[in-house]
Formats: sequence, C-alpha cells, structure tokens
Amino acid sequence: MGRVLEHESKRLLGRRGVPTPEHRVANSPEEAMKAAEELGCPVVLKALVPVGKRGKAGAIKFADTPQEAYERSRSLLNMTVRHFPVEKVLVEEKVAIKQEWYVSITIDKKRQKPVIVATLDGGVDVEELVMAHPERIVTHHVDIFRGLRPFEAKEIWSRLGLTGKELLQAQQLLLQLYDVFITYDAYLLEINPLVLTEEGTVVAAASVMGVDDSALYRQPELAGKVEVGSERAWRPLTELEKKMIEINNADYRGTARYTEMEGGNIGFMCGGGGGSLLSFDALVDLGGQPANYTETGGNPPEEKVYGLTKGILSKPGVKGLFVAHNITNNTQVDVMARGIVRALKDMNIDLSKFPVVVREAGVNDEEGRRIFLEAGVEYYGEEITLMQAAEKMVQRMKEVQQ
Amino acid sequence: MAILIDRNSKILIQGITGREASMITRHTLDYGTPVLAGVTPGKKGMNVHGVPVYDTVKEAVEQHGVNTSLIVVPPPFALDAVEEAIASGIKVIVVTTENVPQLDVLKMLHLARKNGVHLIGPNTVGMINPGDRMKLGSIGGDNPERCFVPGRVGVISRSGGMTAETSWMVKRAGFGVSTSIGMGGDALIGSNIVDLLTLFEKDDDTDAVVVFSEPGTSFEEDAAEFLTKGGFSKPLISYIAGRFTENMPEGTVFGHAGTMISGGEGRPSTKMKKLHEAGAHVVERFDDMINVLHSVLTGKAVR
Repeated sequence: MGRVLEHESKRLLGRRGVPTPEHRVANSPEEAMKAAEELGCPVVLKALVPVGKRGKAGAIKFADTPQEAYERSRSLLNMTVRHFPVEKVLVEEKVAIKQEWYVSITIDKKRQKPVIVATLDGGVDVEELVMAHPERIVTHHVDIFRGLRPFEAKEIWSRLGLTGKELLQAQQLLLQLYDVFITYDAYLLEINPLVLTEEGTVVAAASVMGVDDSALYRQPELAGKVEVGSERAWRPLTELEKKMIEINNADYRGTARYTEMEGGNIGFMCGGGGGSLLSFDALVDLGGQPANYTETGGNPPEEKVYGLTKGILSKPGVKGLFVAHNITNNTQVDVMARGIVRALKDMNIDLSKFPVVVREAGVNDEEGRRIFLEAGVEYYGEEITLMQAAEKMVQRMKEVQQ
Repeated sequence: MAILIDRNSKILIQGITGREASMITRHTLDYGTPVLAGVTPGKKGMNVHGVPVYDTVKEAVEQHGVNTSLIVVPPPFALDAVEEAIASGIKVIVVTTENVPQLDVLKMLHLARKNGVHLIGPNTVGMINPGDRMKLGSIGGDNPERCFVPGRVGVISRSGGMTAETSWMVKRAGFGVSTSIGMGGDALIGSNIVDLLTLFEKDDDTDAVVVFSEPGTSFEEDAAEFLTKGGFSKPLISYIAGRFTENMPEGTVFGHAGTMISGGEGRPSTKMKKLHEAGAHVVERFDDMINVLHSVLTGKAVR
C-alpha cells in the first residue's frame, strides 16, 4: 500500500473531470512566493508528505501576500510531519468556501466491498462525526461487478439533503471519483473538504489517495509516483533500511524486510510472517531488546543472507544475533548457514563474547547444523521450540553482559 | 472425514507447468495425494510428473470430474483462474498467489460467496488432511510427516509457516490433526476463522480446534461473537502473536499485510480478552499450548 502525494492525486482527479483548485509545487520559499504571485493571493500552502491529518499537524497554512507565502512555506519546509521531513510545498489558489462537504471511498474489509462515506459536514474529523452524529452520514457499499450506478450516486447526496444544481454536480463528481478509485486501483480516496464555492460550483479542495502497490504492474501512469510501503512505516526509511532494500532487490529470490528499532542490542533475523511476530514477542517478554525486525523467507540465496546479516550486525549497539524460522519453512537451512557464517567470519566476530543463537528446522537442516556447529554457532533444530530458543538467546545475552 | 478435502476430492492444479506448481505437484504426489489434472493455457498434451495438462478447466472437468482446484498462477492471472474454476463448477478452491490486487480479490470473493464455493486464500500455504494423506498447496513441503500426523485436532492459522509449527506443537503434545489450514495472511480472504469453525463444528472427526492469530482484522473478534452465540461448541484454543506491535506507532506493519493495527482495531490484547470471555482457551505463551491441549483434551477420544 502506498500513498500518492496530493498534487499527483489531483492531477489524476483532473484527468477524470473532477474540478480541483489551481496549484503549483514549490521546492523552496522563493518558488512558493513566485507561485503565489502567479496564482494570485490568497493561497493555501500544504506540506507535501505522504501522511494524513496534516491540518492537525500544522502542516497547512494560508498566505494573503506573496511575502507571507515565502515566510510560511519556509517554516513548512523546516517541518517534519509525523517523522516525514517536508521537502516540497503545494501552493494552491484559495477557493471561496460556502460549504464544506466530505466524501471518501475505501474498501470495507469486513463486507469485502468498496464503501462510500459522504456527509455535508466536511472539514472536520469524520471519525468523531460518525460517533456523535451517525444520522448526518450516508454509507453506501458498492457491488464490485456492477459498479456505482448514476442513480445510486444521486441517492447518496439526495439523502443528505442536496437538491437542484448542487445535487447534480455532486452526483457527477462522485461518479468521477469512483471511476478514479477503480481505474487507478486505489484503496483510499478521500476528499475533505469537498467544497461548494461562493459561485456555486463543487470543487475537490483537498485529496488524499492511496494506491494498492500490488496493482502497480498495471498502472504505468503511476510509475515512480507512489510512495511504496508508506502505509507500512511510521517514518521515512533510515540509511541502513535503504541499504537493506538494495540488498533485497539485488536478487529476486527470497524476501527480507528490515526495520530498525530504536535502541536494542539483539540482531533479529526470523522467518515467516507469523513466526517472526512470535519470536519477537518471545524475546521482548523475556526482557530481550531486539535492535531491528528482519523477516526473511522464500529461500534467499547465500549472498543475500550474507548481506542481510552484515547489515543487521552493523547497526551500532548490536551485541548478539538471533536467527529463527518455523519448522518446514521452505527456506534452505544450509544456504542460510553459509551466508550467516561467512558474515560472522568476515566481521571477525568472537562468538564467546557475541552470542549467536540459531533455531532452524527444515530443508537440508542436517547440512545446516554441520555448518553452524563447525563455526561454533549455538544451533538448535526441532529439539526445542521457538520460545525455548528465544529463552536461550536472552540468557546468553545476560551472561556476556555481566 | 476432516473438512474440505478428503479421499473424495478430485484435484486439479491451475498453472501446473510453472516452476513452483511443478514442485508442489511432485511433493503432493509423493505424499500420496492423487492429482488428476493440470491446466496451463497453451500447454495441452504435456504432463507434469505424469499429471495430464489441459488448456481449459472445462476439459479437466469433462475428462476427470475434478471438483477441487489449487491455483498457482502469477497475480495478474489469479482472478481469471478463479472465475474459470467457478464457471466450471469447482466447489473448493485454494489460491496460493501472493500480492493479488485488492480489486481482483474483491471480485473473486464475491463470486465465491455467490456460488457457494469454499475459497481459501489468496496468499495461503494451503491445507492438509493427514488421515487421508490429502494435501492441497505447498503445506508441509517435501516432508509433511514432520509436523502433520493424523488425529482429531483442527488447526487454523493466519500464517503459513505457523500452520506447520502449530501442528508440530499438537504432535509434541501427543495428539494429531484432522485438517490443518493456512487461511492466508491478508485482510481480504475467502474463508475466515468463523467460516472454518462452522465446518469444524460439523466435522465428527474433529474434537477441538487450535487457532494461530496475528494483529489486525476482526477475524478473532468475530470468532468470539460466534462462540458466544453457540456457533462453535467444541474446545477452542487460541494463541495470538504480535502483542509487541501494540507498543509501536499506529500504522506500523510487521509480518503479513493483514496485521496492521489501525484506530485501536485489531489489537491482540482485545482479541485475547474477547476470545477468553467467549469461553476459548487463550494461551499466553505459545509453548503453553502443549499443557493446555493436555488439560482440555484429557478424557476425550482425541488421539
């Protein structure tokens, strides 16, 4: 899952006929000032970062003069919004607002259908509105094969009380939004506020769009425009995380996702989505402090295992390594063993002071056991459980730190 | 008996000539599970480890009466493969494919429900019934006996790998499994915990069920409600991994795509509490499962 930055989402909306405010992207205060002159003041300045709730974070400002646009964009460019440094600012014409509405399209995982949520009380925290005034919100589930029918789009707004020219505009716009949602494989498309201007036109003033990264293969138009994985992280990638992605991408075989934890001293390389969660829980419950979360699987080649191990061990403060996979994971244990042992040797790791505990049971584990034991690594197969292996890891860490 | 697959299952593999599918076919045949036919468009007349290949599912149904399909095709073709299987009257479908676009998944799940088809996955390791030596998917790899021995405990897991590890714990406790199923790690899947418990409830060969869970989705909360309403009356043993994620910033995802905690929903602690209140045996530490299995199943004819 990945976010699309606002100017890109508005470009896509525009292509399907949705009216949006005129805008420019500024990389510096100077550019913001120039954009404000071109667009005419007042303007809205928004931090271009792949996170929501920017208003609350103070990442949306207004400017009445080009000079104000200069100053306020400068302060935006110095900001970090929910850990994302602001590198670009969206400068937009400020539309004259008569009413603020809201509409979103997402996927209801429980009902397994696209769902439209609309209200005429836009510009606010809709989650709170749902709780306080559910009667002011219309929710509509869409039949995935039939799509959104024009009469349904009309009914949604009519139920909220729109009529006349406004109803027809809102209907048209919702059909266009649904079209964008389906066409670009979005999982989230939120327009808040959807503005009825003083002139009586309906404009998508702010848009938040997220795209299914599994579908990018059929979205050539979105190439390079989706912050892939931005839905999986709570901050931008660290340098080491970027390096680990390179190591992972260097060979299509096997996958590894490396996430740095704050602090910690145990290098963590465990396998499988569920097995890695369990292993991490086990270490934490026992008082261990993992320094990272690396999930490996799907048979990575020796070179990848080697690179990952070196990466994990290179983080400052790492004083041990825990490697565990669940049984009959298809990962080849001997290949893992060769990669890990080579990295340990390369880094001149003294195993008497730097505990390495491995629990692997699966394909070619006899050969894997031989390689690990020959290198002096503490190895376990299916004679112990994942939790017992975690206990040994934490115990060994305590021993060497005394 | 067990659920979904048994000796009456007539198995088809869609995408059989692919590298992964060919390996799965070999492991499946080695285990003793008959695979009657395969389908890969344009490859009619070939065979994979002796299994005849057809161009269409229709031909495979006409020639072999297949009623169960394992789908091992790349993501762009997964939806069409499911549509073809359903159109040809297949009633049990396992989709192993990972990273299927969400809109395609919505379509396949919609079709499955509309046509009364049991769809497992996508992104699943599959399922196994060791009593009948029937397996569907990569589950167990080349050595299913290591973890899956015949018995009367059902296993449901969000994680493929942990389907094996959990079944191995059942084995360590001295019991065996009726059917072990990896339901898939995504939030959008064909058969959730409630769907599978419904089947296990009706299965005379299952005395208890163990569920391995993760953060995210409402599958466990729904299961708790199902228990409270009396939908499942056998002992349910639950373990939920990933409690540490509750202390991470919101939106953090580790493990599967379906493990995201958002807006307070999907928290392991909430899931544990609800299942406990509904009468499930909620295991705090995974290793405690062995003792819990003993205490819960002693006196029952589960071995």
